[in-house]
Amino acid sequence: MNNRLPTGLYQPGDSAIHRLDALAKILCLILLLAAVVNTTTIPGYLVLTAFTALLIRLSGVSLASALGSAARLRWFFLIILLMNLCFYKPEQAWVSWWIFRPSAEGLMQGIHVVARVFLLLVMSNVLTITTAPLAMTGAMERMLSPLRFVGVPTDLVAMILSVAIQFIPTLLEETDSIRKAQTARGARFDSPRLLEKARAVLPLVVPIFLAAFKRADELSLAMEARGYRTDVKRARKKYPPLRRRDCFALLLCTALAAAFIVVR
Amino acid sequence: MPIELRGVSYTYAPGTVYESRALDGLSLRVRDGEFVGVMGRTGCGKSTLIQLIAGLLKPSAGQILLDGEDINDKHYDRDTLRRKIGVVFQFPEIQLFETTVARDVAFGLRHFGWTVEEKNAAVREALERLGFDYEAVCDKSPLGFSGGEKRRLAIAGVLAARPEILILDEPVAGLDPLGRDAFLQLLDELNRAGTTILMISHSADALAEHAQRIVILKDGQLLRDGPTEEVFSDHAALKADGIGAGQVRETVELLRQRGVDIPADTVRYEQLLSAVCGRWPR
Repeated sequence: MNNRLPTGLYQPGDSAIHRLDALAKILCLILLLAAVVNTTTIPGYLVLTAFTALLIRLSGVSLASALGSAARLRWFFLIILLMNLCFYKPEQAWVSWWIFRPSAEGLMQGIHVVARVFLLLVMSNVLTITTAPLAMTGAMERMLSPLRFVGVPTDLVAMILSVAIQFIPTLLEETDSIRKAQTARGARFDSPRLLEKARAVLPLVVPIFLAAFKRADELSLAMEARGYRTDVKRARKKYPPLRRRDCFALLLCTALAAAFIVVR
Repeated sequence: MPIELRGVSYTYAPGTVYESRALDGLSLRVRDGEFVGVMGRTGCGKSTLIQLIAGLLKPSAGQILLDGEDINDKHYDRDTLRRKIGVVFQFPEIQLFETTVARDVAFGLRHFGWTVEEKNAAVREALERLGFDYEAVCDKSPLGFSGGEKRRLAIAGVLAARPEILILDEPVAGLDPLGRDAFLQLLDELNRAGTTILMISHSADALAEHAQRIVILKDGQLLRDGPTEEVFSDHAALKADGIGAGQVRETVELLRQRGVDIPADTVRYEQLLSAVCGRWPR
């Protein structure tokens, strides 16, 4: 019954954002996040929202998929906003009614939280939608590689990460087929009653775990059969250097982050 | 319980880059008590078709009627649907999860409103049908069995609900020859007792032997639909569509090419044997 793609799933494309190097994109995201958490004013959020809109536009991704999980959290956002509004600074409340003490500071604080989480979600969504999972793990490997000199097994970490990420679609697919099999024999996942919903989790979770363990087992055997060893040095993959457009994106994001930190 | 599909289409992930059309305006009618074999190459829409009939997917267009009622109607009772239709998916052994075999097989019966005795009887019957000794297995963990046994346990879990329509997706893949024959015989028995059977398989031999009607899909559309003998008699067409004709039909074709007079609609092993023995008596 579920015909929705998971949010943030990679969508192949050839936009300006798609073509950026994955490492540059991750670093840009970190810089943008720095800008987001250093924003304290509403115009600041507006600038960042406009920038995010520009990113979505450039990436050619549909607004619906870019907003993805953020849109699904709208009730959460609303509740956070209301709670902040009513309980944040009761001393300076506009009115006082029962336990509710809404204040201007509360409203501002609510906007902070909601805007930050929203921007964070959408920006990281754009990253994962425009970056192939393998490029992402490659970039993480490059980011971690300096730790090699202090004895961290970065090859292993990168391998673990890439295996984990590659298995997400497989496990999602498996979850879907298990859900269908159990639905067909009478499990009620879509029941409005909470107790039934909770009870329906077990027939889903047990098989998924079993399947995941089985897959892990098979994969480790397959890797060993093809000569994967952890005790020998592996050939290192060569990554192309950052290009001009990557440097430009990095500079732009650095400037933005710096501006927000200074203005603060 | 006739099943009727009227111009059914299904599109996966519409509006995204992953969009793909699995079924395209398919119409099909399955009468009560039929044993229908569904064939087609990988990606032709077979699995989508059975998920639609089982009410696990909603068609993008068209209607699916069970007993004349639209199963995707707001007022249609889904529980009736689940009760009437039993689905054995590919590798059904993954659906086992309970602590004991008896509990797992009885899982589908929870909402039927049966008494404990009725449930136990259904579980016992289903397990015995699949060749298990009820007393010996009922308190064991279903996860400790071998692959083939787990498959049979999972199928018992579907049969326990005594579905009127049984849908199977490649149920014999990976079973050993003995288990395979026993299972296909069980399907015949169920079919004789009135169960409508819809079975997807790549094994032309199994379908030629057991199905009365063959439906072949291609690119989400109905390519061929007819009695088993008729569909399998056209050897050249099967080859052209990239669908194997099965060992019996292949043998018949070779004999015919060598001038032996054997009818082209010889599709079952018994038929082949008697034709050969009749041609060359001892």
